Amino acid sequence: MLKNYFKIAFRNLWKQKGYSALNIFGLAIGIACASLIFLWVQDEVSFDDYFANKADLYKIKTFLADKNSINTYDATSGLLAANLSADIPGVENSARSSVISQKLFSINEKNLNAKGNYVDPAFLDMFELKFLKGSPSTAFNQLYSVILTQNLANRIFGSTDNVIGKSVKINTEKEYVVSGIIEDLPDNMSFEFEWLLPFKVYEQENNWLEYWASIGVNTYAELEPKTDITAINKTLYNYISTKHKGSIMKMSLYPMSRWRLYDTFENGKEITGRIKYVKLFSLIAWIILIIACINFMNLSTARSQKRAGEVGIRKVLGAGKNRLIFQFMSESIITALIATLLAVLLIYISLPFFNILVEKELLVNFFDPLHLSSLLSITLLCGVISGIFPAYYLSSFKPVKVLKGLKIKEGSARWVRKGLVVAQFSVSVILIISTILIYQQIQHIKDRNLGFDKEHLVYASVNGNIQKNFDPIKNELLQSGFVDNVSMSTNTPLDKGSSAANFSWQGKNPENQVMITYEGVTPDYLKTMGISVKTGRDFYANTDADSTNIIVNQAFADVVGNKNIVGSTIQWENEPLTVVGVVNDFVYNNLYEKSSPLVLYASASGNYLNIRFKRNTDLANALPALKNIMAQNNPSYPFEYKFADEQFEKSFKTETLIGELAGIFAALAILISCLGLFGLAAYTAEQRTKEIGVRKILGASVQGLTASLSLDFLKLVGLSCIISFPFAWWIMDDWLQNYAYRINIDWWVFAIAGLAAVLIALLSVSYQAIKAAIANPVKSLRTE
Amino acid sequence: MIKIKDLEKYYATEDVKTIALNKLSFEVKEGEFVAVMGPSGCGKSTLLNILGLLDDPDGGSFLFNGTEVAGYNERKRANLRKHNLGFVFQSFNLIDELTVFENVELPLIYTGVKPAERKQRVEEVLEKMGIMHRRKHFPQQLSGGQQQRVAVARAVVNHPKLILADEPTGNLDSSNGNDVMDLLTELNSAGTTIIMVTHSEHDAKYSHRIIRMLDGQKVTENILSEFTH
Repeated sequence: MLKNYFKIAFRNLWKQKGYSALNIFGLAIGIACASLIFLWVQDEVSFDDYFANKADLYKIKTFLADKNSINTYDATSGLLAANLSADIPGVENSARSSVISQKLFSINEKNLNAKGNYVDPAFLDMFELKFLKGSPSTAFNQLYSVILTQNLANRIFGSTDNVIGKSVKINTEKEYVVSGIIEDLPDNMSFEFEWLLPFKVYEQENNWLEYWASIGVNTYAELEPKTDITAINKTLYNYISTKHKGSIMKMSLYPMSRWRLYDTFENGKEITGRIKYVKLFSLIAWIILIIACINFMNLSTARSQKRAGEVGIRKVLGAGKNRLIFQFMSESIITALIATLLAVLLIYISLPFFNILVEKELLVNFFDPLHLSSLLSITLLCGVISGIFPAYYLSSFKPVKVLKGLKIKEGSARWVRKGLVVAQFSVSVILIISTILIYQQIQHIKDRNLGFDKEHLVYASVNGNIQKNFDPIKNELLQSGFVDNVSMSTNTPLDKGSSAANFSWQGKNPENQVMITYEGVTPDYLKTMGISVKTGRDFYANTDADSTNIIVNQAFADVVGNKNIVGSTIQWENEPLTVVGVVNDFVYNNLYEKSSPLVLYASASGNYLNIRFKRNTDLANALPALKNIMAQNNPSYPFEYKFADEQFEKSFKTETLIGELAGIFAALAILISCLGLFGLAAYTAEQRTKEIGVRKILGASVQGLTASLSLDFLKLVGLSCIISFPFAWWIMDDWLQNYAYRINIDWWVFAIAGLAAVLIALLSVSYQAIKAAIANPVKSLRTE
Repeated sequence: MIKIKDLEKYYATEDVKTIALNKLSFEVKEGEFVAVMGPSGCGKSTLLNILGLLDDPDGGSFLFNGTEVAGYNERKRANLRKHNLGFVFQSFNLIDELTVFENVELPLIYTGVKPAERKQRVEEVLEKMGIMHRRKHFPQQLSGGQQQRVAVARAVVNHPKLILADEPTGNLDSSNGNDVMDLLTELNSAGTTIIMVTHSEHDAKYSHRIIRMLDGQKVTENILSEFTH
């Protein structure tokens, strides 16, 4: 029986090669596209699965209310971890980690940079890091010890054998002894360290860790299995105020299972996160699959006349309706299976490109039961979705009628078909509109006035002798003729990490602990960055002369609410500081929002070196000169620099990815829809051959016939536009609400999308229409 | 075997009601060969469709082997059909995508016959019809006469009690037509009841009895040869 179905399915597919190709190709694109998306989704949802005890791991979130809202931070006080285990029952373990940073590893003449964190010894146990050499219990026994990943150990020593006990110089300052080698971390996890250093070393260098009010380290907690976290959160919520009187800082546990996908907070509440993209892309995957399935449905029911006779005969010979449904369903499943084989090929071809696009290293392995079963499920589902309506429709034919050769009154099927075409094009139009608007929004932000000049601005980490040789470096750079200004700062131009709540001023509401970003800068910083002074003055060339002075941004002045803030006093902890200038707001941290309040203080040192090239500098000449100067003044470190504008571009990674994916999905949706339309047009033309022949004999023109044939389809596309416009507007307006700095939705975007859909549809339909219209009527009438 | 009484069938469009069968009654005994004749539109095909359980009467009674089957649902009809009836059509109605062998095999598949037995029975009947050498061909590769032989083979492979033939020679030349009529006669001699709709007086002569119809009613009945049960 099955054999018979297979046979007839293959013969039917073969007989209708053109239609089969359209069906199979459309389905294959849909399946391949959906599979790639699901691969991405799988990678996202399996984030941090590396940790067997994931369910018991948490980080501590800090909440601080200011005038308008509650801000949420990953950063905590350095004092928290040690107190946590002692004070709060249920907390089995807790550990601190510094934010990730880059260090130079030197051995003999070899220098290389690698990223890592300072962590407490408990960190090693909590996260059950897999030690290949050494052991977590002894790795940090010695103060100056370092744990390396297998990969980094190989890069430094060329091997992991006999590395334990060897020493390596870090940041050209201190020798550290390798005390452990751990397995490399997979890509899909929250940590990306290559080395770990004892937190005790970090403590020695950062005395702010001793304050409850200064937050800047991550604190992690491992709970005893099945601990009630509500009770712990209750204690944690006001915990800081028990340690530091008057603090309004609140805290709570945040489970590891939510770090990757949910970590976006608004007003102290988790609102969403990457999960929205996971959901969005999954939805799009299903939509693309359904669009492909629609082609199959439409072409099958359109061609039903051809199958009607067969249905009649089979019924006469005793086939029941269910048996016929089963037969037609198996045909659609077989078609889906063939499409899947083609899809597998497409997946293999496109995976490397997809990986570049999403910046992952996704692997597909059809021997992996999960991948295989997912693919088979998709296949089966496609077969069922595409087959079910045609199967019911075809199997309901009355044998008496079809065997008499009567034309079947299509009735419902024709309306369903039209409805499905409208659905396909509506989705396509929505995707086109979304793509345009996403690009517009990204461009809008890229073009916004940042308040500083990101072009021709280079920055680099201050390491080795840069601090010591800053003056000669600065002089040589200025004398090179390529450079306008040089300065140092605590943070990079775009990311300013540290912020604190311990600023106060006259008239400040003590309830309102605004987080203020603060940054130490050397003289000429404002000039280097191209930030303009609004009122007051820039720092003097002599840092000491400004040791108790600060410059604030307009946002800060607005928070203080003092129109004449220049000259007034601001308290930082207990130190009074005088505001000597206000700068115009410039964008940092969140490029989509307005600037947050910022304090600049004069400093003789910094973590980053900022270099402003002259406007018309030829970088091809300037960069070697720069490297040369740096090599002379800081010989032991390779000079690694970044362009501010490039970093700026990179910060749109997610948005750009969404824009690109939306564009690709839109193109695919349109392509698949057009394949279907092409098939339908071919079928309609074929069905109307006789009518066209008669019309031509009676004097109809080719143009007139082409237009009349095409118009039927264009009406459907037109209807799709009408349906999709409000949806697209609603979806994109909602999306744009995520951005404080956003575009207005213009009507012409809709016009362009609609026009594009109509033109593309016309292109796929008109070929068939013209072909039918220019055919010789004598021939077409004879064949009837 | 078949007893119809006051059978009625209407076709209605929006403003015209056509009577296809008008209180038609007759009986067919097991083993009989009956020809139904009459001009186009007299209701022959409608009658055959109802007898073949492909269509429902609008009134009257239809006893098949003593059981009332008017009003059977589709599943019951399909079941009765596949075990008792064989069809031969004017236009052969073979499935183009299946070979000769597969076309003939189809009814056996639907009645759930095991593959080995199917093969044996299909080959038997193809042999009998003289088309064994064509078993791997597709219908389009055969002449009209050969196609109708396949159709007959398909109609009899399940050993039906009744064969319904709708102008079985209508698309054939006289020589091929005679061959098919000889085949049907042979089947009838072997015990199969046959009801045949035809326009051809020549073909009708092969039967025991001719029922002539006009406007949905039986007008005359000619008994050509004595049929003894």
